Amino acid sequence: MSRVNGPIDIADAWDLRAPERSLLVWCFACIALGFVMLWGSTHVGGGTIDRLDLLPLGLYALSLLTLHLILVTARFRGDQLILVAVAFLSGFGMLAQYRMGSFKTQGTLSINLALFPIGLILMGATVILLMRGRYQALAQGHLIWVWAMLSLGLLAVLLLFGQRFRGGVYAAGLVTPSEILKVTIVLFVAGFVARNAKSLGAWGKGLPLPPWRALLPLAGFWLILAGLLVIQRDLGLFIILSIALLTMLFVGTGRLGYMLFGGIGAVALAGVVLKILPHGERRVTAWLEPFRDPTGGSWQILQGLSGMFSGGLWGEGFGRGSPEYTPIAQSDFIYSVIGEELGFAGCAIVILFFLILFGRGLLVVSRAADGYGRAVGAGLLTVLATQTFLNIGGVTKLVPLTGLPLPFISHGGSSLITGFIGVGLLLAISDGQPATPAKSRTAKQTNGVTGKGARRSRRSSAG
Amino acid sequence: MTTHLDPELWSLIRVGLHVGFFFAAAYLLRSMFNARSVTELRHLPRPKWSARVPIVLLTLLFIGILVYQATWQLIGTSRPEFIAFMQLHDRRALNPAHRIQRGRILDHRGEVLAYSEEILGQVYRLYPDGPAFAHVVGYSHPWFGASGMESVANVRLNGGAPDGLGDWGKLGRQLVTQDKRPRGQDLTLTLDAELQRMAFGLLEGKQGAIVAMRPEDGAIRTLVSAPSYDPNRITSALFQDSGPGAALLNRATQGLYPPGSTFKILLAALALQQGFSGTLECPADGFTTSPRYRKIRDHEYYTASKSGSTWTGQGSLDLATAFARSSNVFFAQLGVRYGHEAFYAMAEQMQLNRRIVLHETPYGAWSMRTGEIPRLDTSDRYGLAQMSIGQGAALVTPAHMALIAASIGNQGLAIRPRLIETDEPAPLAYFMSTSVAERLSAMLRQVVISGTGRGIDTPRLAIAGKTGTAENPQGASHSWFVGFAPAERPQLAVSVLVEHGGYGSATAAPIARDLLLRALDLGLIE
Repeated sequence: MSRVNGPIDIADAWDLRAPERSLLVWCFACIALGFVMLWGSTHVGGGTIDRLDLLPLGLYALSLLTLHLILVTARFRGDQLILVAVAFLSGFGMLAQYRMGSFKTQGTLSINLALFPIGLILMGATVILLMRGRYQALAQGHLIWVWAMLSLGLLAVLLLFGQRFRGGVYAAGLVTPSEILKVTIVLFVAGFVARNAKSLGAWGKGLPLPPWRALLPLAGFWLILAGLLVIQRDLGLFIILSIALLTMLFVGTGRLGYMLFGGIGAVALAGVVLKILPHGERRVTAWLEPFRDPTGGSWQILQGLSGMFSGGLWGEGFGRGSPEYTPIAQSDFIYSVIGEELGFAGCAIVILFFLILFGRGLLVVSRAADGYGRAVGAGLLTVLATQTFLNIGGVTKLVPLTGLPLPFISHGGSSLITGFIGVGLLLAISDGQPATPAKSRTAKQTNGVTGKGARRSRRSSAG
Repeated sequence: MTTHLDPELWSLIRVGLHVGFFFAAAYLLRSMFNARSVTELRHLPRPKWSARVPIVLLTLLFIGILVYQATWQLIGTSRPEFIAFMQLHDRRALNPAHRIQRGRILDHRGEVLAYSEEILGQVYRLYPDGPAFAHVVGYSHPWFGASGMESVANVRLNGGAPDGLGDWGKLGRQLVTQDKRPRGQDLTLTLDAELQRMAFGLLEGKQGAIVAMRPEDGAIRTLVSAPSYDPNRITSALFQDSGPGAALLNRATQGLYPPGSTFKILLAALALQQGFSGTLECPADGFTTSPRYRKIRDHEYYTASKSGSTWTGQGSLDLATAFARSSNVFFAQLGVRYGHEAFYAMAEQMQLNRRIVLHETPYGAWSMRTGEIPRLDTSDRYGLAQMSIGQGAALVTPAHMALIAASIGNQGLAIRPRLIETDEPAPLAYFMSTSVAERLSAMLRQVVISGTGRGIDTPRLAIAGKTGTAENPQGASHSWFVGFAPAERPQLAVSVLVEHGGYGSATAAPIARDLLLRALDLGLIE
């Protein structure tokens, strides 16, 4: 009972996080099997395996261990399954990137190798920094406007000094700093919504219209953002952020109307935007009629699907396919590589882990102690889930291609780091509030008598 | 690692690791599912709202992706365009699409015209009689795509879209065994390989086309276009040649030629339909609609003037005699007499200015052009007179002339030509009434007995037909013969065109006779 809401010591935390520990061991075992499979294929295929090739797996094991120990030492009480799901997905990502040769540049190991371990450790750092309710400090005072200015400023700077490549705008070395917007904008909007929850929830009587006056600052911000992103031709990011905005408004105010109005607006906007952006319309054509220009606009997607077709149900095993025939497969099309080498079953496994991450995340959000935590959590989850859906849906030709990377698996440093920081934030929220004074705690307990009883009985039956 | 791993052993280990990976992942998933109550976040307050609804929605969304993905990844064989794309553009050696056992293409007796053979793991498409059948069978090539029947019937040859419980069951077995190699269906054509080879041989060294079809059910027995190409050896040079000698052009179905005197069949049908009886005066000097235009004369006039003598002319001719002698003066007058309206009505009734689809699938169509009869101004009577003798602006395809001959042989009713044996015969249109067809049939027979075609008359077979000698701006006249045999109950209609072959009676008619006699030997005519 003491660990339910009160402070816990390290021994308690060690016990508490026992499931995480054993699950992480299995996680490592699974990924290790994949690496052995790859090493064997390379060896039989005539390639050489030296000590450097063992490094990715070693680093992976080390980062899992470090992450776990950090969290135990910090007496972190938050969610364990989200953590394991992310650990598995990033391990899978390392496996896939190692397979695609992203870690090797002319014999030496590249910086890409460090991205996954750094990301995992960064996630742990975010958790420690923001746990025990400290994440609320992110919405203190004028800080939320700092997030807003930071987001827009970053985009503006990028527009001025960035370089164009494949229709998008990048910073030096093809880094995409705009990825960090997925966190900063969520922080801003969640803060704004939590602060103005009452006025934003006051919809017109009779005609159900949203409160324009209260929405005005947000709408202005969004117009500028939309303009900047359209100039950068980053349609995918805009879609993700817009859906996250609507979700946060809905979660913060409980008004489903935001989703409905947003949906109608999105459909209207989509038509206009597609007309403006030339490469957008091309992508829609490649989506609707892939066989009209199979060797041109639809080449990449059809090659990806061909790879998946030859993978079939089980695939031929890691290292046995030929994903090099799909252009830039290691980033946006990594899912088709999984489909080619591990088959439909491998894809289903990846999707299941994503579903555990999102489902568990939703549970955390629904139980977050304050409105801000709920809004931030909902926003981050929406960003991740939308990105995952658009990537996988795009690769399987269910929706048009948006050029978004697959979280935790695709090649792309900024996207990876942003994903890890986002999940770190979500984990920090799952840690709940610091031990509160007795008065408010009892109030909470009286609130939750029935629920707690039910839970206790379930625990006893399990034991 | 210096030790060498035996590939045989490795393939076993690999399967073990592969299965192990899936089991480990599945075990991890199960453990996480079981750990959900142990790891419950007891320190957090009760939920404000139920997370169940969004979780279910999200799960459904992603299951939707997986289901859609399965339609490509697992049952991609039901997407014929996708299979075709992979066969053409996918270089993955392991892709099952490359090992699809494509069906064979056969003639109506079962002789193989195209088949696939696996040589060192690579599947090749082979054509035993290459050039002779190229314009019908087409080619299927990894770089240059597919044409002809190979393209139109691609779906059937690849195994087709599943359309029955059995097909789906087969698909299921392929899924589990990873053997995505549907055995394609064979395609049987109406062509007669022997007759086709003979026809191709008759056109050797020439440019032209031969079409032979059964009047009663539209089955095409021969469709040859020369020059041809070898579908076993496709090169890019083939596609760059767009000149008049292009081998890729199907002259039988797409080549537009002035019909010359063979067009008098249409005019004769028109006259019979209008109830023409009696005679027309045909002066030796010729006929014109206005003194400003060159006179249209009979070929005897030119023969005589070449030898320095004077020709006395035909005098007064009736329709049958004029037809047998192929009198230009007679038919030019006839066309002008009935006028533009009647002329175009006849052209319309005989389906000119059309494209007739022989076989159509969502993945391509096999069609033939009929001809081009441009609409002339009603004041242009000289143009009409010229078209009435098959010159001037009138253009037709050899295939359509065969179809017209077939319609006469089938009491006026044209059956849609077909190349695929299993296609049901379907009526296309009445080109003329039954009585007109019967009388025209007798007139065609008369041409061979006593008219311009008498050179090919043979006691073995009663051939009926019309010769044609079509002047053209490119050089010597095109040589035509259009007809059928036997005259009293026609079983094979034929159309022969030899580009710049001179007189129809000298070049095309003997080819038609040889072909029909061969058909008699082969039992195609009884």
